[in-house]
Amino acid sequence: MSRFFRQAGDSDSDTEESEDELMSSGDELPKQTTSTTTSTKPAMSRFLRTAGSDSSSESSEEEESDSDSDVPQRRRAGLPLRDESDEEESDDEDKPAARILSAQERRLAEMESTGKVISNGLKNDDWVAISNEFDKLSRMVQRQQNVSEPIPPFFIKSLLSLDTSIKNALADKDAKKKLTATKAKALTAMKQKIKKALKEHESEVVKFQKDPDGFEREYQAAIVVAAPSQPSIPSQKIANQQDDDEEFSTVGKGGRVVQFTSEGVLKNLQAVQEARGKKNTDRTEQIRILEKSLEVAATTYQRIRVLLALISSRFDFNSSASSHMPAELWLSAQQEVDQLVSIVASDTKYSVQEIVDDYDELVERTPQSEGGIVRIRGSIISFIDRLDDEFTRTLQHIDPHGTEYVERLKDEKVLYCTICRAQAFYEQTRQDEPLGRVIMRRLEHIYSKPNPVVQALEQAADASDTKPGTVLSDLGTSSALVHALCVFLYKSGNSLLRTRAMLSHIYHHALHNDFYTARDMLLMSHLQESIHSADVATQILYNRTIVQLGLCAFRSGLIKEAQATLQEIFTTQRVKELLAQGVHQQRFQTLSPEQEKAEKQRMLPFHMHINTELLEAAFLVSSMLVEIPLLASIDSEEQKRKAISKPFRRLLDFADRQVFTGPPESTRDHIMQASKALQDGDWEKCRDLIQSIKIWSLMPEAASVKEMLAKRIQEQGLRTYLFTYAPHYATLSLSLLSRTFSLSLRTVTSIISKMIWNEEVAASLDQASGVIVFHRIELSRPQQLAQVIADKLNTMVEQNEKTLDSKFGTSSTWAERADGNKGEKREQLQERRGRGERSRGARGGARGGRGARFSQGLGNQMGQITQRAG
Amino acid sequence: MAEHDLSKRIIAYLDRHLSFPLLTHLVETHLFPAEQVTQAQYELARGTNMFDYAVTLFQQIHPDQQVPPEFEEKKQNAVSTHERLQQEALAVLNVIENPDVAQALRQDKNQNLQFLKDNYNLTLAQITALYNFGQFQYSYGNYSGAADYLYHFRVLSTDADLTTSAHWGKLASDILTGKWDTALEELNTLRDLIDSRSSASILAAAAAATASGASHDKAEPALVQLHSRTWLVHWSLFIHFNHAQGRTLLLETFLAPTYLNTIQTACPWILRYLTAAAILSRKVSSTSSASNPVSSRVRNAIREIVKVIQLEEYQYSDPVTAFLKELYVEFDFEAAQQELKKAEEVVKNDFFLGDFREEFLDNARYLISEAYCRIHQRIDIRDLSLRLNLSPDEGEKWIVNLIRGTRMGADAKIDLEKNMIEINRPALPVYQSVIEKTRGLALRTQALGAAISRSGQNHSQSQQQQPQRDGGETKLEGQQPIVVN
Repeated sequence: MSRFFRQAGDSDSDTEESEDELMSSGDELPKQTTSTTTSTKPAMSRFLRTAGSDSSSESSEEEESDSDSDVPQRRRAGLPLRDESDEEESDDEDKPAARILSAQERRLAEMESTGKVISNGLKNDDWVAISNEFDKLSRMVQRQQNVSEPIPPFFIKSLLSLDTSIKNALADKDAKKKLTATKAKALTAMKQKIKKALKEHESEVVKFQKDPDGFEREYQAAIVVAAPSQPSIPSQKIANQQDDDEEFSTVGKGGRVVQFTSEGVLKNLQAVQEARGKKNTDRTEQIRILEKSLEVAATTYQRIRVLLALISSRFDFNSSASSHMPAELWLSAQQEVDQLVSIVASDTKYSVQEIVDDYDELVERTPQSEGGIVRIRGSIISFIDRLDDEFTRTLQHIDPHGTEYVERLKDEKVLYCTICRAQAFYEQTRQDEPLGRVIMRRLEHIYSKPNPVVQALEQAADASDTKPGTVLSDLGTSSALVHALCVFLYKSGNSLLRTRAMLSHIYHHALHNDFYTARDMLLMSHLQESIHSADVATQILYNRTIVQLGLCAFRSGLIKEAQATLQEIFTTQRVKELLAQGVHQQRFQTLSPEQEKAEKQRMLPFHMHINTELLEAAFLVSSMLVEIPLLASIDSEEQKRKAISKPFRRLLDFADRQVFTGPPESTRDHIMQASKALQDGDWEKCRDLIQSIKIWSLMPEAASVKEMLAKRIQEQGLRTYLFTYAPHYATLSLSLLSRTFSLSLRTVTSIISKMIWNEEVAASLDQASGVIVFHRIELSRPQQLAQVIADKLNTMVEQNEKTLDSKFGTSSTWAERADGNKGEKREQLQERRGRGERSRGARGGARGGRGARFSQGLGNQMGQITQRAG
Repeated sequence: MAEHDLSKRIIAYLDRHLSFPLLTHLVETHLFPAEQVTQAQYELARGTNMFDYAVTLFQQIHPDQQVPPEFEEKKQNAVSTHERLQQEALAVLNVIENPDVAQALRQDKNQNLQFLKDNYNLTLAQITALYNFGQFQYSYGNYSGAADYLYHFRVLSTDADLTTSAHWGKLASDILTGKWDTALEELNTLRDLIDSRSSASILAAAAAATASGASHDKAEPALVQLHSRTWLVHWSLFIHFNHAQGRTLLLETFLAPTYLNTIQTACPWILRYLTAAAILSRKVSSTSSASNPVSSRVRNAIREIVKVIQLEEYQYSDPVTAFLKELYVEFDFEAAQQELKKAEEVVKNDFFLGDFREEFLDNARYLISEAYCRIHQRIDIRDLSLRLNLSPDEGEKWIVNLIRGTRMGADAKIDLEKNMIEINRPALPVYQSVIEKTRGLALRTQALGAAISRSGQNHSQSQQQQPQRDGGETKLEGQQPIVVN
């Protein structure tokens, strides 16, 4: 026996003793009708005292967290007064049903004591006291009526007896004369009062006079009806006191042997549920009781009920939001959820619903009695949600570098199985709303995982008996699985789920290097327009998706796209915070504890993190490849300020200012030195530096990425070289360039041709001698400015035309079809389709939004080229 | 070459009858086994009322087999149906062709209907007979008749669904009869109809009436509109590549944002025709004059298309688009030349482009040499000829013509001794380049102003739609970072 139980037993016997005392005093009370007021008063106070001490002893037990709740006490309850004190305590908590009952009991006792005072007064002819007490009594009865309880027969009895005694007193003139003036006055007043009271309760009085026993029985029955959820009280009232004593003693002497029988299961459950959430409830004990109950639960109905209660109490175990659920508890909760799901899935006659009609919690229900389906209040989906959340929370709290984390992570498999099972269950029962939620949960477990992990998870799910409609083994690839899940969610009505599914789907595509599909989906979803108003979790997912898309572009060698995609998140300099992978340190203000807590709760568990260093490397390298040639091509100061990538430019400036540069250590150092080398035209050094960055090893297909980077560095190196050194050459041999940059002659020609065509360099090729001939004209300042202004004018007009185009349809139509169909044209523009975003972006990004971004690289470049021309 | 054949993709978006010419063309190109094509033709014909044609085809495929009796049966049916429909339609036609009636008809359809009903006891149901008969005639290949009836029906009917359907039918009939001018008109009205209405029912009806099999009854309006546009894009190919002005119009239409979206989303293969049209209409775009204004869209067609080709490369590419890409994105003249060679073959075999082979080649060569000359200072004629897929002699002739025919004449000289072209392009003086750049800006702005004021008269709202001066900046504004807090 554990320490808990032993102590619980001990303390219990304590309470039992005090109860013993109580009982004896309580037993005496009704019999003490003959004793004087003075004698009753100590009894009363003693009762109150004991009750108080009892409760204090109980609460002290609770504090030690080893006592048990009032469950066993209720079971052994044999005594109205004991129970009453119990209830008095519980008055503090909110429990309406119990409160009424206790009040009733208390009033009854009070009435009885008042009745005694009255009868004492009658003996002494103390009419003043009688009058006072009667006032009290009638007030009490009035209250009784207010709460629509039947009038106790006791009252009627005393009413009648008072009536007769007053009549006697009035009839006896002598005695009357003996009375003092005040007493006589009181007597007359009494007469009036009694008359009035008799009139008020005429019907009851008549009934009582006719059949006193019948009236009493009726009263008892009424009380029973009024308190169905507290069967112990009426039963104890009716039951023989002797019997109660016996029952009490058996339980009490037997220590902690609470009887768990299948009949008692529902009662136990009731008790546990009442105790739930109370300040002094011992959660461990509750869980133990429920576990025991589960063992003895005989019927499906009982099992479901107990499981529902048990799982919730497991989740209740940790009330504070800052700590996490112990692993064992979580595991058992998980198993119980499994059990619950399988019970409900196997027996379709029982259904767990969030909203059901009220039913009596203590009555065993069967499909027969309920006419087909037994509906039980509860929510499996919220259990699943909670289970998943708790799992995440645990991971948030465990040190990600310890073995414990890995151990815990292994539980994801069982969790995934549970989710799949729930999905199968909801598919079977066709409950779309929870099905959507559960599928979302499932999706969240797989969307960001590489194929082998998904396979492992799916294998585990495959092994279980109930399988959902979509499994990996049927669909073949994880992409197909994600697709199937997402498609279901797209079809469901819930827009939040749809958004999240969309983002997860894009993320998955990006993870699998399917850049174009991911990009198209992102643009067609138009999420970038509405994401600002989404909830924080979705925003985080969005950021993650964007970042993953950028990485995907980088891996696929789409440097410009990668740069443009990643730039946005890097300009904020709060990458970690935006990805929910770390708390932002603000320099000048500190977060309030609540904010910090909220932020901590949002944090992703470590295994979901996107490596920020890798991300930074990818971003900086793509920035380098975009930026360095651009820097080289710019000759005027003001254009220099128009940086594409501010973070990169800042770093580069910082590196420039440094007097001494040591060998590179960090990733940034590597990239900065590589940028320098690229600026100097030393592409080999640049390549070596970039390739020696260690973090690449974390990238899938690192080798091919490095190769791609080398190629890009060669090309951009050539461009940079041409930009930088063109003013110093009249001609340059193509073959020399091809040798210097290890590029084929064809590639060199192609790159140079492109530059000439785009008017990036003023040069032409001499095919015969295989050289580039540079034509350089030095422009004076006003000439330069004139050029710039002309360009700006041009872009402005083009911009205007485009705007008008997009407002009124084709430009020729607005010129020709002057007065036709304008309204209709506008309509057509209002319907927005995904590609519109993109192609419009491609033509210079007339409209804002991220849609323009992918083609922005080109657009920007074009703009700058035209501005620089000449 | 079969892998570059688009018939399969295109036919999916065509009417049964419109597919016949394509299949006939396939027979001629010998890209696919003749039996298969004939089989396909037969399958196609079986679904129509052109029994004689189907029977002929059947006999071609199975010379030794008996013609299935179902044809005879169907034929009987068709003849009787024809009789019946003709009777019904005739009643209406008699009334309409009455000159008094023709005069009394007004613009308002409802009024017309009322008028016909009052005076000639003609109901809507009877008018629908016109539609039915038109459709029936179309189904057995009497396209001009069908066009007539459908035209009459459209004038009278108020039923939006059937009218749209009649539009499509009339368009198909006009295409099949080869009346390109009428077809073009029809195409324009139909395009306006599609662009203007987004009501699901109308478009669904349009799509359902034309789609062989596909029904979009419950689809979203936007989706239906997309479908309709896709259809229109495909059908219009017939017109655009047959009408004299077709190529320019094609660029005009297909490069409009809505249709470009449609192409990118639903049918990227249309890019081939877009590209081809852009190459073919090079002369038009380069020789735009004040008397024959060409919109900026057509002027910059090639630049636009190159961008789209780049964007859609992952979805679709064929030699024609690859040629443009190699030429203007990679500037790899060697690759461009190879692609051109392939593209020539593709163009030759393409149903729509087949007739334009020479023209295409000529223009493509011109584009190459233009780009080549702009980049190079001294060019070996032999080399250039090679780039153009021409023999040295031919090449020289071609180049001389080129130099003569274009503005290059002043700058380029042929040095026969070294067999070289020397291009001496003195850098433009700054003031000239500024003038060059600002030329026409005033005119364009004026046009803009006029357009705005016109629209302002029509809709006071359009005041708000003043062009944004700072389009460049708005681009950046949209990219506010997301702040998680």
